[in-house]
Amino acid sequence: MTTTASPALLGSGTRTRARRPNAHPPMRRREVAGAWTLMAPYLALLLIGGIIPIGYALWVSFQQSPTLLEPTKTGFGGLQAYVTAISDFRFGQSFLDIFTVLLVWLPVMIVSVVGLALLVHASPGRFGAIMRFIYYIPGALGGVANLMLWVYLLNPSQSPISGFLSSLGFTTIKQVVATQGDLPVILAAMLLLQGLGQWIVTVNGGLNSISEDILEAASLDGANAWQLAWRVKLPMIRQWIGYAALLNLAYGFQLFLEPYLLNQVASGALPSEYTPTQLGYWFAFVGSNFPAAAAMSVIIVIITLAIGLVVVFRSGLFAVEEH
Amino acid sequence: MTTSLLRTAVTNRRGPVRRWDAGRIARVTFMTFVALVFLYPLVGFFTVALRSDDGVAAQTGGFLGIGGISWDAVQHSWNQIFAYGGLDTPHVYVTWLLNTIFVAVTGGVLALIAALPTGYALARLRFRFQRPILIVTLLAMVMPNTVLVIPLFLEVNAVNAVGELWPVAIIMGFFPFGVYLSYIHFRTAMPHELVEAARIDGLGEISIFLRIALPISKQAVALVAFFSFVANWTNFFLPLALLTSSFGTQTISVGIQSLISSSPLFNPTAAAGTPIKLYMPELALATAISTIPLLIVFIVAQRFLIRGQTLGAVKS
Repeated sequence: MTTTASPALLGSGTRTRARRPNAHPPMRRREVAGAWTLMAPYLALLLIGGIIPIGYALWVSFQQSPTLLEPTKTGFGGLQAYVTAISDFRFGQSFLDIFTVLLVWLPVMIVSVVGLALLVHASPGRFGAIMRFIYYIPGALGGVANLMLWVYLLNPSQSPISGFLSSLGFTTIKQVVATQGDLPVILAAMLLLQGLGQWIVTVNGGLNSISEDILEAASLDGANAWQLAWRVKLPMIRQWIGYAALLNLAYGFQLFLEPYLLNQVASGALPSEYTPTQLGYWFAFVGSNFPAAAAMSVIIVIITLAIGLVVVFRSGLFAVEEH
Repeated sequence: MTTSLLRTAVTNRRGPVRRWDAGRIARVTFMTFVALVFLYPLVGFFTVALRSDDGVAAQTGGFLGIGGISWDAVQHSWNQIFAYGGLDTPHVYVTWLLNTIFVAVTGGVLALIAALPTGYALARLRFRFQRPILIVTLLAMVMPNTVLVIPLFLEVNAVNAVGELWPVAIIMGFFPFGVYLSYIHFRTAMPHELVEAARIDGLGEISIFLRIALPISKQAVALVAFFSFVANWTNFFLPLALLTSSFGTQTISVGIQSLISSSPLFNPTAAAGTPIKLYMPELALATAISTIPLLIVFIVAQRFLIRGQTLGAVKS
């Protein structure tokens, strides 16, 4: 589970307090000192876990890469590391791969999340609660556990859907995942099963925030359950749908665990640098080219940061817009 | 804060008795079908953990192999998992569990120590850079945490601490979502007047937080602790990048990866030299055991989670 569980909590509080810079100087000074003292541990962690690594990666990305002839070569390298990363033959392909996965996965994901959330919302009481809980279970399993579940599912020799797999002509898990064109579909299915429940709960939170009066008024006007969902609820959770789409887009971009471990399960039959994050990992751990790994990270950080900025400033879900 | 939820409950109870029309039948049937699609592989998977190697390989045991569950098989699988390890790292599975408990708990405690006072300060105190700090926190929250793993690796590598557990624990303590949760909590649960009143009574800013804000924050503590523990426990990429070099200091998620790669199912050559054979039942059992702590914290935090979800229904 990642922080995508967050969205159910929306801070739509408006700023009511006006700034009074010089109202009570001594008290204000104590308030400011108190605030910084209280935040000190977090600011330290923010530096260690966020600011410094990004700054350091930026610095490293402008260093020279060591070569075989000069393994200890250092110094300013300009854009050399970026050129190395971008001109790597796997660079374009890894983004193409991730786009393919996103293309297969995102539409199905968003439609399923919204559809099931609307169905859960239309089922008040115990039935809806039980269904929501069941949809949530696979997501609660988390990273590696979810992968093991799929190893079990995709291995024709013991899969509960082995009949289906063998009807497609597969006899080993290696064939299943390594056959051309299968990987995006498998990754999409994995991400779908893992993410659905969490996002149903989130979008359901958005649905719960629709005023009962509106729904009641629509029912009195003769709207049936279908019209209620399509014409009233759906337009009102537009910003939640946008939020879900953007956060899942950012999540999809950094895909690592699933393709990395599927490759192990397939005894290395998959491309080991399938996604951009995997390519960054390769630069750092196999190629021992830290500048290129840093450049790769900077590129990925910029993309997800752009998505993050849109989410924070444009989704309308966070109270940071100016009032 | 639960008003809208209560209202829903009341409306439903008093609402007209609904008939089983076509739409309702279709909805219930479809939702039940989806639930079964979700449950089918899960039941099968957890059943595999309780079956024997031969039974799973031969696909006996009837529907989803449920008939093949046996205590002997569980014992055999556990003995294999328990015996797994190197010469200087015996019973490494248990070590991995202990390592994970260490980083997940330390990271969770750090997240609490950092998140609650910060959430309070952002929500109820006035100071410069309040908005930028909130925005940076939100950005860090919505960005997937894996994008920083390679930069974090470079940072930890620069201080020669790769392969040690403590950097992982400290980095896990950076949990912006926890700050946001606490921020929302103090905005909704602690009126500004309470802070003013405490000041008039002569309490210092830190004492107001410790003696007034903290005691009404059980809900926020539970939520931050739960979400950070789960995120830490299931984190894969960070420990993979920082700990792969040392077998005995890995966490369970990276450890299970090692189990996969030494299974004869996926890597016959690597598995040939060892007496320990990890087939699907062993792998499934190792995975199932690794999810027990998640189950425990979920049960403990459950009542707070249900209330926490309704935070989303708050319109302030």
